[in-house]
Amino acid sequence: MMDELELLKKDWQNKEEHLPKLSYDEIYKMIWKKSSSIVKWIFYISIIEFMFWIILGNIPFKGDDQLASTKYTNLIASIFEYISYAITLFFVVKFYLNYRKITTDDSSRKLIKNILKVRKTVMQYVWTSLSLVGISLFILMTEMIFFEPDFRQIIDKASSAEYPWLIYILFFVSLLILMAVVVGLIWLFYRLVYGILLKRLNANYKELKKLEV
Amino acid sequence: MNKELEHKFVTELESNQNIVHKVCSLYTNDRDSHNDLFQEITIQLWKAYPKFRGDAKFSTWMYRVALNTAITLYRKSKRSVKTQDFDAVIYKIKTDEYDDTEERQLKLIYDAVKQLGDIDKALVFLYLEDKNYAEIAATIGITEVNARVKMNRIKNKLKTILNP
Repeated sequence: MMDELELLKKDWQNKEEHLPKLSYDEIYKMIWKKSSSIVKWIFYISIIEFMFWIILGNIPFKGDDQLASTKYTNLIASIFEYISYAITLFFVVKFYLNYRKITTDDSSRKLIKNILKVRKTVMQYVWTSLSLVGISLFILMTEMIFFEPDFRQIIDKASSAEYPWLIYILFFVSLLILMAVVVGLIWLFYRLVYGILLKRLNANYKELKKLEV
Repeated sequence: MNKELEHKFVTELESNQNIVHKVCSLYTNDRDSHNDLFQEITIQLWKAYPKFRGDAKFSTWMYRVALNTAITLYRKSKRSVKTQDFDAVIYKIKTDEYDDTEERQLKLIYDAVKQLGDIDKALVFLYLEDKNYAEIAATIGITEVNARVKMNRIKNKLKTILNP
């Protein structure tokens, strides 16, 4: 028995008369329309993400000057600033280079791989920025505990309490929970946004990779 | 972009548009989506055209861009409900009385193909277009051996869909 595809193939070329036919003008109009491809979406969202973290890193916090920071913590703060500039620059360049590599006349597998790579770069950037925020928040907190007069009072009160260590533990645990909630929310947001955008791409890439083994 | 390039591109696409329509009908289920995808493929082709050197045939190059757009770039719109009203630009049963068994069977096979995954569809499409395995493999980005293996699996999958 002839297999089904063979049957379909025999007939395939005869079916062209059923296809729609567009005129020269109709096609000409189309080439000026805006693309709505997912690569474009990924590009726009990535740019917004970069902007978000760059702006976030540069917001002058109200308390900044009022903090009785020591020379030591000031130094740490400026080192952090330079590190985060360098990191941002590194990721933006990497993102751009990866983005340039996306061409539709590559093989499907390579194309999908390149798109996912662009996405990965941005994700790495987001998580790096997030860790930096976490670390600097931690440093800021420690600084406040040791050098802020208001905090000193609390600590003094705490140490005169019956179980001073309990208060310290509670404080740190609530800090950790707060951080976990923030990270969790961001993670959830990304899952939602990219789950929608990249679901098909990931599935197809997995299928192609599976063929290799 | 210069006028000459535009003209050359549109002319070539106009005479090769069947390829794009066939890809669209395989990957979409209604007229709106078909037109959306056609437009997106046209945009992608035009964007890539300046890099097209002419060392490959225009149509060969088109297969790649068109399939890649359908598989990776195109976002299926929500409104694409699975209706059968448009479904087959290619295989349509004219009327119910028109009971040509062969035509009916072809339509069933085509419907089965449409149920396959994105990558499988791409392989089937290239196969139907009479591309050899080397070409299919190069377009998808797998080895020739893997393309053959995959094709056999697809044939079995189709058999299961058609004879459950």
